[in-house]
Amino acid sequence: MTPQENIIPQNPSPVTVKDLNTENPRWCGGCGDFSILACLKRFIVERQLRPESVVNISGIGCSGRAPNYLNTYGIHSIHGRPITVALGLALTRPDLHLFIHSGDGDSMSIGGNHLMHGINRNFNCVFLMYDNEIYALTKNQTSPTTRKGHRTNTQPFGSYLSPLNPLTVALGLGSSFVASTADWIPDHLMSTLSAAFDHPGFSFVHICQRCVHFDIENFDTKTSSWFSFLKHPNGISPDKRLADKSECLDHDPTNLNDAFKYAAADRRYFGLFYVNRDKPRYDNILQNLVAGSPKKDRGKLLDPYSI
Amino acid sequence: MPIEKRSVTRFELLMDAGAGAQKAGDILLEAFVAMGKFIYVEPMIPAEISPAARTRYALSGIIIRLADFDINNIGNDTDLILASQEVVLGRRLDDHEFNARCQILLDAGDRDKSPATYDAVIERCAKEGLIVTTFDIDPASKQIIADMSGKGTNLYYLGMLSFIYNMDENTVKFEIEKNLGKKLDPEVMKINITLYLNGYQMAKTRDFLRYQVDASPRQYDKILIDGNTALSLGIIDAGFKLYSGYPITPASSVMHTLAKELPHYGGRTHQAEDEIAAIGTAIGAYFGGVPSITGTSGPGFSLKQEFIGFAQAAEIPIVVLNVQRGGPSTGMPTRTEQSDLLAAIYGTHGDATKIVISVSNIIDCFYAPHVARYLAEKLRLPVIIMSDFQTANSYKVISRPQVVQLDNIDNIPDFILERFHLKRLAAHIETVRPLQTIPGTPDGMRRVTGLNTDAQGQVSTSAQESQRSHRVRNNKVNHVRQSLDKPTVFGPATNDILVVGWGSTSGAIEEAVSLAQKQGLGVSGMSLQIIYPLPLMLKEMFSHYKKIVSVEIAYGDANKLPPLASLLRADTLVDIQPLIATATGRPIRPKDVLAKVKEVLK
Ligand code: SF4
Repeated sequence: MTPQENIIPQNPSPVTVKDLNTENPRWCGGCGDFSILACLKRFIVERQLRPESVVNISGIGCSGRAPNYLNTYGIHSIHGRPITVALGLALTRPDLHLFIHSGDGDSMSIGGNHLMHGINRNFNCVFLMYDNEIYALTKNQTSPTTRKGHRTNTQPFGSYLSPLNPLTVALGLGSSFVASTADWIPDHLMSTLSAAFDHPGFSFVHICQRCVHFDIENFDTKTSSWFSFLKHPNGISPDKRLADKSECLDHDPTNLNDAFKYAAADRRYFGLFYVNRDKPRYDNILQNLVAGSPKKDRGKLLDPYSI
Repeated sequence: MPIEKRSVTRFELLMDAGAGAQKAGDILLEAFVAMGKFIYVEPMIPAEISPAARTRYALSGIIIRLADFDINNIGNDTDLILASQEVVLGRRLDDHEFNARCQILLDAGDRDKSPATYDAVIERCAKEGLIVTTFDIDPASKQIIADMSGKGTNLYYLGMLSFIYNMDENTVKFEIEKNLGKKLDPEVMKINITLYLNGYQMAKTRDFLRYQVDASPRQYDKILIDGNTALSLGIIDAGFKLYSGYPITPASSVMHTLAKELPHYGGRTHQAEDEIAAIGTAIGAYFGGVPSITGTSGPGFSLKQEFIGFAQAAEIPIVVLNVQRGGPSTGMPTRTEQSDLLAAIYGTHGDATKIVISVSNIIDCFYAPHVARYLAEKLRLPVIIMSDFQTANSYKVISRPQVVQLDNIDNIPDFILERFHLKRLAAHIETVRPLQTIPGTPDGMRRVTGLNTDAQGQVSTSAQESQRSHRVRNNKVNHVRQSLDKPTVFGPATNDILVVGWGSTSGAIEEAVSLAQKQGLGVSGMSLQIIYPLPLMLKEMFSHYKKIVSVEIAYGDANKLPPLASLLRADTLVDIQPLIATATGRPIRPKDVLAKVKEVLK
């Protein structure tokens, strides 16, 4: 089953945003997570994905709470490990739509190993990296993406190291899909979700996410001069609201060299950096192995050991 | 030429790693089995892949215990050792597993390589009162072996052993052809057979002590299998569809077997990037309703603990196999120990609610996955299966277990539950959250989390909700506790002393009890299958013995209670003392249990 095919609805009544609500999220007012959650709900409605066929899987952190606020199936797992849990579903339940929610600490620090192998296995899922460049839920500690010099509780004289760049990391690991967007440009976020969902494989979506509580100055959401959109007929369209105001650059997402160039630049770029639809998928490989193995009779399981 | 009749005997073939001692042993034991003998076999595996020859680390070999009757352990000590050179022999003598009459056959071919070492080992044997008979491979065979770059010595030794055990030349030849025929080209095969026959002929010319092994009609419907393979096949028969693991000794061979076999039965084996990922993936799949199991040993078991706790809280079934090895830390990967018991029961932070099952023998290995899956799904709790290096790697001939092809856990046959002394659980067992649908179920949408929740699944820090969640999870364990029957008892239910053990020590305890009874001693034994929770009637059962002692392959001394004794004391308030609590990496011997019991009874 391809990601575009939805499970045949048993209940024909259309899915609405209301159907997807659970409790009111317990995030700080103004948190970027609200916007990501709202966009995901809108996306599910737009595509009319059956809520019972969607599983949201998260780790720990403010982002980790997201599955609790979506009336689909969900696993709020442990710190750094949502990719491992999602893989279990991808290997055994290809009928489900998987969205992974993971923060910068969750995916680039404690769960770095799983990100590396999730990308390499290229199993089918949408991976949403909520990058607020801080440990927020544990109260203001330096994360792998915190900018150098930014003061936190664990590095009070200013964070010591240059941050890791999630985009070059993902590209360097051979990711089959690398996109970046931001929580305050919902139109672009929606287009990004759409492209990521339609991509067969591990779709790495980096989202600049505001943490208004611990680092209100991090992203200047009032102006758009500090970032550009990457555009291409096979890419992601620039944000409708900002298309006229922002720089929009043509970038062919099959060009890996240019993708690295934009990803490594000091300036921020939003859009589709890279896509490769031909990268083998581990979930498919294992499913084909099972489907292609001659069936053996469990009743004769012990016969080869007979003496 | 002396020939002795033995109803039970044990011998060892010791060589350098990679020289084929285990292969030769395998061929020989299949020949024994063909003659209707019962065997229990322990391979000796070095901790490294290719340690340099003629070093103490290079010791590799096979111990074969042979009997006219069914045996459940590797026994007391060795009657015959055939060693390819003095270094591995010296290393093995350190283990002190030979008896006073042990015959040692030492290949003197390496004598000139290091005369000092050679003489020292010979001298040492003399001091221990052991008779060493040296021999030389005949010159023609030596030339053949040299032409094969040193290969084939094991076949020569196989020939010697075949003669010493009074085996028919052709029975063994047939087994060689069966074992090697497919792999070797016919020319090499011929050379191997020649070496085998030359070894047989050479032994004829010498005055080795020989053993009479009677052929009896082959017993049909038997299988020859080791513990890890039995577990692997049990996993398939129990209906698991995903095995997720990470390479680690000694659990890895389960993953090897399942990597080949599971796809033929509609399942898959996943080699994860680490131990944590391995259990995470199994938990994810089980949330999707697909029976999944992860397996590991030692250090890997420590790494999985956080996810084990998560599965408890989120109420996702999971089965974790721990094939124990020597610890702590990296410890001794190729030696046996039972020191993970308390980590299995109490490991993971916070209140631990899980079920721990142990395997005492190879048939247990086959059925433990069925019981584990039944309990995991019924209770939505983690179930740990505890094996150990000894059980995993030893193999023997057993009556073929009944394959049950389990799909729906409610159809688990009674005989399997009874094997683990468990009564069928109530149809409904309360969960923290009543809704336990699997993804894909319309209108069943639900979220699970490691956070505490209320009955609706909403994250909650309410005092009442927290207390309730703990109560519900602990009640699940209590359901099992109340459904446990009396554990296995060897010997009378009232006696002077009761020796309690679990897992791989059970066979030695059983044999020690039977030896003690023959000597008129008031000794009984007990083996626990489900080790956590413990059965309710344990204290009452203990009250019929004057003294209760534990036997465990785990360290204990006057100031340190070993794990099983600690557990039993806490549960029953009976003053249980360790009878044997050693962490030598070697299995416990029936005769040691007997000797210690006699001391206590004095
Ligand atoms: S602490 Fe920051 S990231 Fe967390 S909810 Fe508040 S604003 Fe959002």
